[in-house]
Amino acid sequence: MVEDQTPEALDGIKIVELTRDPAGEFVGKLLAGFHADVLKVELPEGSPGRHVGPFVGREEDVDRSLNFWYYNTNKRSAVLEYRTAEGRKLLEDLLDSTDVLISGIVPQELSDLGLDLQALEAEFPRLIILSMTPYGLTGPWKDWASSDLVALALGSPLNSCGYDDHSIPPIRPGGGQSYHTAASFGLLGVLLALLERQTSGRGQLIDVGMHDCLAVSSELANLFWFYPGVEVQRQTCRAAQPTPTQPCLFRCADDRWVYLATFAAEQKGWVTLLEWLESKDLAVDLSDPKWQEASYRQENFYHVYEILTVFLQLQTAEEAYHEGQARGVAIGPLNSPEDLFNDEHLIARGLFVPVEDDQVAGSVIYPRLPYKFSDIELAPLSRPPRLGEHTEALIRSIKS
Amino acid sequence: MTDVETKFGVPNADTDDRSVRPRVGPLAGVRVADFCWMGVGSVATRTLGDFGAETIKIENREVIDRTRRLPIYKNSPARNFGQELLDADPNKGGMFNNYCRNKLSVTINMRTDAGRGLAEKLIAKCGVVTENYAPGVMERWGLTEERIREISPSIVYARMSGYGHSGPHSGYRSYGPNVQAVSGLSQISGLPGREPSGWGFSYMDNQAAYHCTAAILLAIYNRNITGRGTVIDMSAFEVGINLIGPLMLDVSVNNRPARRPDFPTGNRLENPNAAPHGVYPALGQDKWIAISVFNDAQWQGLGKALDQPTWMADERLATQAGRFANQDFIDENLSAWSKIRDRHETASLLQSFEVPAGAVQSAKDLDEVDPQTAFRRVNFELDHPVIGPARFEGNPMLFSRSKPDNWRSGPLLGEDNDYVFKEVLGLDEDELGRLQRDGAI
Repeated sequence: MVEDQTPEALDGIKIVELTRDPAGEFVGKLLAGFHADVLKVELPEGSPGRHVGPFVGREEDVDRSLNFWYYNTNKRSAVLEYRTAEGRKLLEDLLDSTDVLISGIVPQELSDLGLDLQALEAEFPRLIILSMTPYGLTGPWKDWASSDLVALALGSPLNSCGYDDHSIPPIRPGGGQSYHTAASFGLLGVLLALLERQTSGRGQLIDVGMHDCLAVSSELANLFWFYPGVEVQRQTCRAAQPTPTQPCLFRCADDRWVYLATFAAEQKGWVTLLEWLESKDLAVDLSDPKWQEASYRQENFYHVYEILTVFLQLQTAEEAYHEGQARGVAIGPLNSPEDLFNDEHLIARGLFVPVEDDQVAGSVIYPRLPYKFSDIELAPLSRPPRLGEHTEALIRSIKS
Repeated sequence: MTDVETKFGVPNADTDDRSVRPRVGPLAGVRVADFCWMGVGSVATRTLGDFGAETIKIENREVIDRTRRLPIYKNSPARNFGQELLDADPNKGGMFNNYCRNKLSVTINMRTDAGRGLAEKLIAKCGVVTENYAPGVMERWGLTEERIREISPSIVYARMSGYGHSGPHSGYRSYGPNVQAVSGLSQISGLPGREPSGWGFSYMDNQAAYHCTAAILLAIYNRNITGRGTVIDMSAFEVGINLIGPLMLDVSVNNRPARRPDFPTGNRLENPNAAPHGVYPALGQDKWIAISVFNDAQWQGLGKALDQPTWMADERLATQAGRFANQDFIDENLSAWSKIRDRHETASLLQSFEVPAGAVQSAKDLDEVDPQTAFRRVNFELDHPVIGPARFEGNPMLFSRSKPDNWRSGPLLGEDNDYVFKEVLGLDEDELGRLQRDGAI
């Protein structure tokens, strides 16, 4: 708990956001949660994300986009027509007292606007500029167009995702994860630059390309290529590996799925699993001592899978989850987002919080940010700004 | 240092000199007692080491880190993850090398009193402690949160686990794929009407780690201002739920469940109504290209790229809404066109008409074909005494000033015992010898 008046976390840090997609917006949301003052500077038509659904009650409106809401909690919004000379002057005046600029403007648009991030870096020595674009500011693809799907494809995560049946194309993992991956690196970039500035007093330009971020975030795929020099193959809902492995998805009695990976080589895990099967009289022939040999299990693992399939069909996903975990088995149900609100563990940890928005939707349930500190209080989530809600205050503050 | 430029433009470190040197970067001067292990833990402290923190991994010779054991070896036949060699050389593992470059390694047996005493001495010299053991392990060694804060009052103590350190399921076991399952990320990924395709890698190992690193950086920044440390309780499950994104609000605000017959939507996109939006076959076995069209301008660009085929003139396809409603028709025709064409050439062609498109690239493609990653030189190479020269995944934040300090490849098991125990902790030969005899080191 805070006992004195020392500034907390990023209190006092002023951030201006000129973002175009969720990658930069997510960084702004997280920094706002750390107490930074994040001002979203929007063109009169509103940020692109305001025009993307889903919308509250399916009613399309710049202030009803849940896509916008999700990525823009705890921010303010000012409309500034920075394509004109007058607006541009206001923007530059604003940057004079800004600590961090988050720009999502791609190279072509920067040049159309006559904006030069390196020139800004020189003009405002304390300013940290985070550029978050699909491919970065340089390179042969800097002007290529992107999307979540295209980014996941080019960056290679998509190559690892899909089904065992390779007549089906690779399938995009859902939720906008290309943007979320880039956002993680953007966040680290800003925090590192802020730390560096504490010593040097200087800002700098951080050029984050979503493509680069994805290219280093595929886990085993790069490593299998860097070391043994092999490519991985996608497999249904489990790690892509050089050759096919045993399935890890099981359908339970209530038609829900559970994920259970069993590592044949691990003795302790095997004993635990076997005890669970035996407790329900469903171990069949796995109680035979020959199954205690790791090498025998590695060679005959398909049989274990067959037995587990029957075993898990006889219980609900929740039963299998809690009993398995009580025994030390790393099993998890494939929850759907709506399953999470009633999860006793998440309730105990206070993950879901109401955010008041009287005018549009009343009380809205969001997940709070995923950080818990003993000695830093994060900003409570507050509703995203309506388009231009803080324009007048901004103009007043610049002019004074 | 040699002056040979590698493919990635970074000079190889001289293998002969692996001794610890002062580090540069935003985290220079920060020392970390790193109890992290496995993929998620190793990634969480990777960025700290890369940017100048003296990151000391505390390892145990009897319980070797899984990333050291996984069979990802150079010049060896490929083995799957589950087929690890039971007597693997802990210094040969590629996964460990990639994740633990720029870190130090000491071996301490935490099951001995002397070992625990040594660890406490080390913590007293550190500003950050990290761990991702199952909840209860640190406590079993006497390292409660209170004890750690007593040893080092302004410590940043980052704890990371699947479910976090409080709540009724805090003891539940999980790996990355479990976290993807329970947080909802797997269920929302796949074709409608069949089992989820989920994730083909431990996405949440990366993401939970990146967010843990962010929390550590924030805590150090805060300490620099306030003088106060903090305990950080990171739950990968909670990070995963934050990554569901706007869909979470569609469920909570619009009461629209995500488990329903027409969801998930495979490669199609509901918001906005993009069409075509899919992954299409390309020339070659199991080769694919992703194409996404969001508006009339991109649709017209696609028309020019395909040389205005008659099927695209179908009046049902005149509007974005019409195209969204007729995706089966579009996909069939587009697939017939794409499947006889090279995916990289198709991507370049479509991009020349400003249509978002890209080949589904593999790690090999990134390395051998992709001109963008080559140009941006994100990856780098370092030599390693057992493995030899190897490539590393770099940091994709390209700073104008704060370059990563890629100082040394992954440490050999216990490689830095002498430096840490003698120079950092100030032990003399006699004390070291005694600790070795007692089985503490």
